Amino acid sequence: MDFATLGGNIFGTIPLGDIVLYITPLNLFLFIVLLVFTLLIAISKTETQVEATLMKLSNTNVKVGKSEFKQRRFLAVICGIASAGAMITGDLFNFTLFMALIGILNIGIVSAVKQTSVLNSAYQYGLIAMMCSLPLFGGAAIILASTGTLSLEVLSQIQATPMVVFGAILMLLGILGESGVAPFFASKAEMFRTPGSPFIVIIHLSSLFIIVRAVEILLLVLW
Amino acid sequence: MKIGKIWNKLADPKTVPRLFAFCLGVILIVGFVVPMALNPDQIYTRPAPQEQVDEGLAIAPYDRGGEVLKSPGIINPQYPENARELGMITGYMSPLAQWVSSISPYFGTSIYSSPGGLIDEVLYYTRGFDTILESSILMMAFIIASWLTINYTMNKKDIEKDLKKAINDSSKVAHEVKVNDEKARAKQLRRDN
Repeated sequence: MDFATLGGNIFGTIPLGDIVLYITPLNLFLFIVLLVFTLLIAISKTETQVEATLMKLSNTNVKVGKSEFKQRRFLAVICGIASAGAMITGDLFNFTLFMALIGILNIGIVSAVKQTSVLNSAYQYGLIAMMCSLPLFGGAAIILASTGTLSLEVLSQIQATPMVVFGAILMLLGILGESGVAPFFASKAEMFRTPGSPFIVIIHLSSLFIIVRAVEILLLVLW
Repeated sequence: MKIGKIWNKLADPKTVPRLFAFCLGVILIVGFVVPMALNPDQIYTRPAPQEQVDEGLAIAPYDRGGEVLKSPGIINPQYPENARELGMITGYMSPLAQWVSSISPYFGTSIYSSPGGLIDEVLYYTRGFDTILESSILMMAFIIASWLTINYTMNKKDIEKDLKKAINDSSKVAHEVKVNDEKARAKQLRRDN
């Protein structure tokens, strides 16, 4: 399938050697929305959760310390920029790299939380993210081996062979695991159950946007 | 089994990596039956294995030809218009590297021994953005690990404070539970009598 059928007419490209970022209305919209969200996250403060105290009438405030707040904000902003980059990239391998970067940042954002259940699920998610690097990069490598190119512009013109379909399925599995969709959601969904809302939300937001972009890329490669 | 029960089982974070590993294994096994063949029409070409060794070239598996700043080496970009000077410095070798390659036929097997020479322009010129991203993944991993190390293992005072607080809290809760338990038991005893 063409760029034009999926995302509208191409406004232009950003050539970085062989990696050409291309801008269609769809990609531009996703890119700008993510950057605006990142900006909002960068200037906001964390929420404080109020919990009922056990056996008492008073409440307990669950706060985020200052150094933890700074580290989380930094990682959340980088995560937002990485997902924005994944929105306009025009290269298959580049997309998988952005995906891996988002995966490690997601673990980093919750790494300093002092709740065992959250840390446990972050650890389980880390296991998945580690396993995901095999299908992600392996899928991209199989597509490269069978078509001889990584550029989405050229890939969208090439007819899909069974090998390309297999590579695309591998990539899809990697993306599903890394962004925590349907059967693999539990570990990622448990990671949010902690104070520090606007930074935690970027974990969710980045995977939503990545899925939209992954569908577009798989359609480009397969059709 | 009802679908609700399956979803409940999947909601445990512990089972998710196992399920993922299982799915990955199944798909990789399916990969054995998919017909696979390397397309010879690759953009990032490499000479066939042992071809340059048999020819007896001094920098055997890495010889890409070309003269520095005069003629381009054998490099094939996807978008030649974005990389006009591609291949011009592929043949560069430092003086030390030239000397080593003149006395040893095995120089090409140790790419680290040629700083600045045999620069893979595919990596740094045409696909430089990938190289930046790769190293930023590593940098983020180091940032997270070092932040955790500094704040959770080196500042031991904080940890001791946290630990003390946790121990106090848990013993307080245990005490309260015990007292309530005894009360309830006494009540039950009274009722029974």
